[in-house]
Amino acid sequence: MKSLGLFKRWEAVLALILVVEILFFGAINPAFLNVSTLLYSTSDFIHVGIVALALTLVIITGGIDLSIGAVMGLSAITLGLLWVAGVNIWVACFCALGAGAITGIINSVAIQVAQVNPLVITLGSSFLYSGASLVLSGLGGASGYEGISGFDDSFVELANLEVMGMPFPLVIFLIATVVFMVLLHRTRFGRYIYLIGQNPRATRYAGIPQFRTLTIAYALTGIMAALSGLVLASYFGSARSDFGSDALMPAITAVVLGGTSIYGGSGTILGTALAVLVVGYFQTGLQIIGVSSHIASALSGALLVVVVAMRSLSEIGRAYFQLWRVLNSTGKQKA
Amino acid sequence: MIRFLQNNREASVAIIIVMLLAILAISDPSYLKVETLLSIYSNSLTLFVLAIGATMVMATRGLDVSVGSIMGLAAAIAGVCMNDGLGIVPAIGIALFVGLLCGLFNGFMVAILRVPAIVATLGTLGFFRGCVHLTTGGSWIEGLPEAFKGLSHAWFLGLSPFAWLVLFLLAAAHIFLRYTAFGHAIFAVGDNREGARLLGIRVNTVQLTAYAINGILSALAGIIFAAQIGFIPNTAGNGMEMRAIASGVLGGVSLLGGTGTVIGAALGAFFMTAIDSVLVMLRFDAYWNDMIAGAILLIVLIGDGRIREAMAQSLRYQKYRKFLEPDEASINASAAHATKDAPVSGARVTGTDETAVAAHSKESRA
Repeated sequence: MKSLGLFKRWEAVLALILVVEILFFGAINPAFLNVSTLLYSTSDFIHVGIVALALTLVIITGGIDLSIGAVMGLSAITLGLLWVAGVNIWVACFCALGAGAITGIINSVAIQVAQVNPLVITLGSSFLYSGASLVLSGLGGASGYEGISGFDDSFVELANLEVMGMPFPLVIFLIATVVFMVLLHRTRFGRYIYLIGQNPRATRYAGIPQFRTLTIAYALTGIMAALSGLVLASYFGSARSDFGSDALMPAITAVVLGGTSIYGGSGTILGTALAVLVVGYFQTGLQIIGVSSHIASALSGALLVVVVAMRSLSEIGRAYFQLWRVLNSTGKQKA
Repeated sequence: MIRFLQNNREASVAIIIVMLLAILAISDPSYLKVETLLSIYSNSLTLFVLAIGATMVMATRGLDVSVGSIMGLAAAIAGVCMNDGLGIVPAIGIALFVGLLCGLFNGFMVAILRVPAIVATLGTLGFFRGCVHLTTGGSWIEGLPEAFKGLSHAWFLGLSPFAWLVLFLLAAAHIFLRYTAFGHAIFAVGDNREGARLLGIRVNTVQLTAYAINGILSALAGIIFAAQIGFIPNTAGNGMEMRAIASGVLGGVSLLGGTGTVIGAALGAFFMTAIDSVLVMLRFDAYWNDMIAGAILLIVLIGDGRIREAMAQSLRYQKYRKFLEPDEASINASAAHATKDAPVSGARVTGTDETAVAAHSKESRA
């Protein structure tokens, strides 16, 4: 029974899914089980994970940030423009992260000043930021969707750098996972995040700095989105304004699959991290066994639908079971 | 003035549209003619149709981010059917039916399985897009029949058959939501699901229907899109879901359900397209479009939020005034009662009109 109790934790289920999935694809194509294949295939999807970690915070507060994809492109373009203007590449990286933080702060201030649903505000700001990155790339001479390339070699090699036998983006992801785990589960700030998600009004009456907490959460999301844009720029060796447009939905998918409630108030970083790997390896695995990438993405959508529907069904089932138990016990008392 | 804007959200979008067109007309008087309006309207047909659907879904406190994929899927299926020699009408029929099935699937997930709407439709967004690639085999569909493309060409009074159809749909949807019991049920479910259920509304059926209609409308948007551009790329409809939601929100449809009008959403859609067209006509570089549209969208949303907040505060003041000024308690008793059951989120389709009137009359008395 105790081992069954373990599976009440959603993270355990995710870990099991991950192992089963890797073994399944490995059984069809043994090349998949190669450790270096497993490690290096993460470079294709890990940028989603980097931003999903921070997005978890925002979704736990009951908000959402639809502008992350736009911010990814904006940070890459900022980097590219500054590089073209002759700024040192590391200073440019720092500025790009700063731009990310600013976008997050703008989001947070707009949401709290207007008191409008974050979904709507960040939808508007995503148009603004993606428009801004198009304007910047247009002003920078790279017309339209053309990229800015020719970065410093040390920057481009960063994505292929090997640290302790692992690709550098994966290392960034692992470090970020640990940092966010500590931040969310071991600090006062993390507890505030949960409380805001559970009950904003109680948070306000308890005198908790709601504005500051939310602003930090959104700013962190902006910074991580910018970081993931930089990782992409380094990985591809060029900066484009439409970098992040495909990353938004997978990032939300990872957060939701990781067990975070879309209504806020619950969720874990570990769940998100595992879900990133589950979705990422699902895609790569399908491609390795010869499924075309479009169908692979369709099946990822189906995976999300099935998993979430099953969770929802099991919750409905549990509610009925509880009801039945209560009714049953009252019936016995009467007899 | 502010109260008028708050109670008629459509008016604020309409004012912005007029301002936008005024800027266009001042900077270049040669655009001061009906053709400009008509061309913007025909550019915005797909968004109009999606906005109608989005209004219905958002009114039930739902959200459908899969409409872009449904659009692409319907367009692809219609294209494949037509190129296989099926007639235009059966092909459109099949595409609409597929849209219905997609919508029903979304509705099933949301209403019966109780999956949060954004999560469910996020999943189907990827799933339906994959189906597009399955249908087309990964290539573009070209060589659509001329008769089909002709449906988007000017036909009567400078409008194409599709443009007339969309106008008709707009009127029909408005009447449906405003003057039928079922339309009211949609808003009731969005405003208060449990309350609607206790009133005897079949909540699940209403939600399912809203998503199903949205599916059909998305499919129609896909067909119109295909007829307008004459071929069907795999990415047809990409990103349209966000534009549809933005149009709805701009036009005063609340994501929290229970309020909004089709006309408002349509004006929002018109604005979203108008800004693109106007910037092109003013010879801005194309890359300014998204940024300016985004900035205006944000400003409108924040401004609206501030107005709503001010309204809510004045309502709250009215509600508690009898405790602050005891001697007026008797006058305000009835008004306070009316205020109590109206949620503080501003203009509602039902209820708030009376509340606002009550609040107003109190103010004039005070």
